[in-house]
Amino acid sequence: MDPSIKIKGVSVRYRLAKEKPKTLQEYIINRLKGRKMDYQDFWALRDIDIEVCRGETLGIIGHNGAGKSTLLKVVAGVLKPTDGTVLVNGKIAPLIELGAGFDMELTGVENIYLNASILGLSRKEIKSRFDKIVEFSELREFIYSPLKSYSSGMVARLGFSIATEVNPDILIVDEILAVGDEQFKKKCNQRMLGFKEKGTTMFLVSHTMADIKKFSDKVLWLDHGQIHACGNDVDALAEEYTRGKSST
Amino acid sequence: MFQILTYSFRHCLYYIIGELRKEMPATLNEFFAIIRYKELLRNLVARDIKVRYKRSILGFLWVMLNPLLMMLILSMIFSEVFRITTRNYTTYLLSGIILWNFFSQSTSTSLVSLLSNSNLIKKIFIPKAIFPLSVILSASINFFFSLIPLFIIMYFTGTFPGYSLFLLPVIIILVGLFSFGISLALSTLAVFFHDTIYIYEVLLIAWMYTTPIFYPEAIVPQKFHFVLDINPFYYFLTLFRGALYLDISLMYRELLYGFLFSVGALAAGWFFYNRYKDRVVYYL
Repeated sequence: MDPSIKIKGVSVRYRLAKEKPKTLQEYIINRLKGRKMDYQDFWALRDIDIEVCRGETLGIIGHNGAGKSTLLKVVAGVLKPTDGTVLVNGKIAPLIELGAGFDMELTGVENIYLNASILGLSRKEIKSRFDKIVEFSELREFIYSPLKSYSSGMVARLGFSIATEVNPDILIVDEILAVGDEQFKKKCNQRMLGFKEKGTTMFLVSHTMADIKKFSDKVLWLDHGQIHACGNDVDALAEEYTRGKSST
Repeated sequence: MFQILTYSFRHCLYYIIGELRKEMPATLNEFFAIIRYKELLRNLVARDIKVRYKRSILGFLWVMLNPLLMMLILSMIFSEVFRITTRNYTTYLLSGIILWNFFSQSTSTSLVSLLSNSNLIKKIFIPKAIFPLSVILSASINFFFSLIPLFIIMYFTGTFPGYSLFLLPVIIILVGLFSFGISLALSTLAVFFHDTIYIYEVLLIAWMYTTPIFYPEAIVPQKFHFVLDINPFYYFLTLFRGALYLDISLMYRELLYGFLFSVGALAAGWFFYNRYKDRVVYYL
């Protein structure tokens, strides 16, 4: 199988200055005094090597601060890694925090266009998907009202409908498998399974082991920015992770 | 004075061209990414204009009504109180004000555009230059609409445009590119140093008063004339007024310097932005 994503030796370093010069004034004074900045390096990711094939779902688990979100950001192209390379084959869509690009003053229609274009769609592509987005979100009668009159559940529904209608080759999911009421949650789950059937590559970060077991073909366990374990034995790794969590 | 300036300017240009050549592939990628995201650009500009006037009864009419009222007040105050007797003073004053407002508002708004869109930039890949660019574009649209009341006032005060008018779009594009270059550099810098916002605020005021916007150029003493010579906006303003109601064909020097400042600012801003754009995410 050809790799959809190839991550090779990726490291991400955050520089935490011990005395962070917060203003230009301090920065210039420090420079003039010839004082070297005192940095403390923090490696959010260190030497990550992983390949994900087309159609595979990679579940990423780990404690808070293990580097899960940083890895997703690197894959999405938001963060340029300090070291290493990321090769991506195909179109990526992130499902991170639904509706981050919504404008509450604009109507549903306008927001569909705005949000879909943030995900990189052209006008033609948006037009051809428009009806499907509205239909899935079940918001047809409110679609010409400004978003500020929506409930938060409705906003989330619209966000999910847009992000999943993009039909990406690679989908990045950060813990938002289900939004809205029970019935809509079911639809969300169905759609996620639909992606798997269609052969979409997925990156899934979740603390819910049931979701990891249900969707993943492969699990990557991160610990302090390094690979603690990685393998195809999803159930065993998930069990071990749960046990490790309860023992500490 | 002028020789030193052109000399150093030339060296700056050589430096920029050299650096640009080094970073050309990455820079080109960014350029094509912006073109790929043109639908986003369109939506951002549309949102800006829609949201601004959505809740008002007169709606989009305010785009023209607002500058018209502002111009009426200003022309009354300045021509009555200051009693400056220059020919076509009303047009002189109003054209100066709307061009300055376009520049100052678009740059100071796009200065914070990367900061205010940080929640998007941190989550989804977007060519970041799209945010300052969209601010400049929506400001240009507003500017075009404020030209209409200007022409109305010009008609009533008896100032008529000459044949140079066809050059007006060129001048406006020059100012737009200049603003975009400055915005690219400033919005990137503001991510690392928030002080940029306050420094630029003060700088704009100093800049405004050293540019002949309200007062006639002739009252500037000869020994201070160099302040005008090094002021890019002075050239743009002279050209803008020239295209509106004077003869631009005599303004070779202004055209040359206006063009150089515009291209120079754009190149410098683009280079600065591309150099630091990957680090921006770490500081937002």
